[in-house]
Amino acid sequence: MTKEEACASRFDAMLAERGVTRRRFLEFCGAIAVTLGLSEALAPSIHQAIAQTVIGKAEGALTPVVWLELASCTGCTESFAQVDTPDIATVVLELISLTYSETLSAGAGFSLEEAKEQTIQNGGYIAVIEGALMEGWDGNALRIANEKGTEIVAHTCSNALAVVCLGSCAVDGGWQAAVPNPGGAIGIEPFLRKALAAGEFSYVGGEGDLPPIINIPTCPANPEHLVAILVDVLLLGRLPDLNEYHMPSLIFGEYIHDNCPRRGHFENGEFVYQFGSEEEKKGYCLYAMGCKGPQTKTNCPVVRWNRRVSWCVESGAPCVGCAQANPNKEGFNWVDLNSPFLNRFKNLRVGDIIVQPAALAATVGAVVVVALVVHGFGMKATGRTKGGADFELERAWDQKHPDQAIGAAAAAAQAAKVQGVENAAGAEPDADATAPTDAAATTDATAPTTDATAPTESTPTDTNSTEDSPTEGGEE
Amino acid sequence: MAHLAHYREAHPLPFVITHWVNLICMVLLAFTGFYIHYPFFAGFMGIARGLHIFCGIVILLNLIFRVVAAFFVKSAPTGGTRETDFDWKSFAPQKDNRHQLGAWIKYYLFMKKTHPLGAKYGVPQKLAYLAIPLLLLITGFTGFCLWAPTSVVGPFAAFNSLVGGVMVTRIVHYFMLWVFILFTALHAYLALIEGLSAAKLMFLRREHGGLVYSPREHNIVGEDDLHEGAEALK
Repeated sequence: MTKEEACASRFDAMLAERGVTRRRFLEFCGAIAVTLGLSEALAPSIHQAIAQTVIGKAEGALTPVVWLELASCTGCTESFAQVDTPDIATVVLELISLTYSETLSAGAGFSLEEAKEQTIQNGGYIAVIEGALMEGWDGNALRIANEKGTEIVAHTCSNALAVVCLGSCAVDGGWQAAVPNPGGAIGIEPFLRKALAAGEFSYVGGEGDLPPIINIPTCPANPEHLVAILVDVLLLGRLPDLNEYHMPSLIFGEYIHDNCPRRGHFENGEFVYQFGSEEEKKGYCLYAMGCKGPQTKTNCPVVRWNRRVSWCVESGAPCVGCAQANPNKEGFNWVDLNSPFLNRFKNLRVGDIIVQPAALAATVGAVVVVALVVHGFGMKATGRTKGGADFELERAWDQKHPDQAIGAAAAAAQAAKVQGVENAAGAEPDADATAPTDAAATTDATAPTTDATAPTESTPTDTNSTEDSPTEGGEE
Repeated sequence: MAHLAHYREAHPLPFVITHWVNLICMVLLAFTGFYIHYPFFAGFMGIARGLHIFCGIVILLNLIFRVVAAFFVKSAPTGGTRETDFDWKSFAPQKDNRHQLGAWIKYYLFMKKTHPLGAKYGVPQKLAYLAIPLLLLITGFTGFCLWAPTSVVGPFAAFNSLVGGVMVTRIVHYFMLWVFILFTALHAYLALIEGLSAAKLMFLRREHGGLVYSPREHNIVGEDDLHEGAEALK
């Protein structure tokens, strides 16, 4: 029996103690492999990696994890802890050494804080941070164990192998950071960036660097996402491939819409317009109910939740876009970006004024249409609707600046007399002569005489521009 | 009342066609755009999205053709003439328009009784037309930011993260829809309010007699009834 086989069987026995069969665990490893972007065929390797790590470190040498809980609803912790049967993800999480967790640790008070401090001093741990950090009131909006939250986070992240920001609140402030955000909630990464720039944070692993940050948004965070990351970091010894938001690209790389089980109804144009309706019973698409699936990237439809039982959209709720947490843009958070959740658009805010984009656009549109109608009556009243008003005889500016005038009426009059209508290619020379019988024409016919007296000396010279040297010959 | 003669040289056939393409695409884009924003009746989403993307691409190709053709096709630089020059010059500053912006604004605010002289396009009109390619490009760009297959491509993905999320891009794209609706409302109003002859020329190539303008003299030099007698000038 090789060492690997020995480890594997011991590990299987450990799993069995927790009510997990080897078969189920292999399936789970396959899912982890897929989540990590590896082939499912690598499930045995992952199984072995987990087994060896666990056995090798069975005597208290597991990688320590410091789990900070900041401003949060504890939903992310609940997401792991609230299980009624031994959960595979929970088993794996038990195989790390959770040194510090306010909710899950058996200890409390001074001794627990002491354990955390020792872990941080020793290094080599993973910091999992749940919830938003509060900067308000000089950092006093969030105090734990008589210490400011800002200082705790900076200290905890300073010596960590990696910082996992778990749940959307830890990524961009989430619910707490939504307008009006009186407590000054902020995500961990934006906070660390700011602190680094201000010289209030330094990372042991590299001067001027941030620790490796892995953002795992969604509300609450999916346990399987965390497990996948832990397997990546601890067992495969690498950081997962991260996107520009420092989120694992394979988990947060595709639109929910693209893998949605209701997608067919979307393409067919079959929508739920009201909860409790016949359409809802038929499981139609929730797009018209404000579903944010088309703009939210997660693998929720594939991995699902609660041990692949279901997920938001499958269970009938429009996606609220919780994975759109944005750690890179100051002042943006997924709640403001997507609420009201049942509307297709978010609200626009200017100060205290809240408006829906569609209502704003329709109002502006209506004002313009009314203005045009009123203007139309004006045009009618001034008799311009039948061909417009009579032309000016000379441009107003030209009249005031005769020395710089172009197209002076006097010149036009001369030209009209001399050239007739030669310029009007295709028109008979006598067209002019026959024309002045109606009122409009008479007006024009008188124009040249009026303008003959106009004080202008300009001649139609074309010296300064390319634009007024038309070439001859229009197409017929 | 008086208007300039409407000659076909003002709108050569290629531009009549591009104008038709623009109109058809705009109508379809606006309708399908509203539908994609909120599907106000059932059963049309697949068609709406297909049409929207197709028309969006067609209108951008049409724009490219229109701009390139402006450098090769000749058109009348002013109304009321059959003389032609390269079409792009109608979009550049023209002597005929000089100092006339105020006159146009006053005219439309009823503060000026007489119709301003000008080139084929009045000053505000020319400014609006020059803005259209830019507005089309913004709309097209944000459209590609939203269309899933292109939304992951470099510049489109970069724009989405710059503005903070696809939701913001969607709102920008939606507002652009309204910009085009309002432009079209104004455009149609101004083109039609003084009579239908301009539209008949633009869409049907039907000529109409009127005053003759000389692009050389920069003023009205006569009148042309197209051999149809005084009635034609009305």
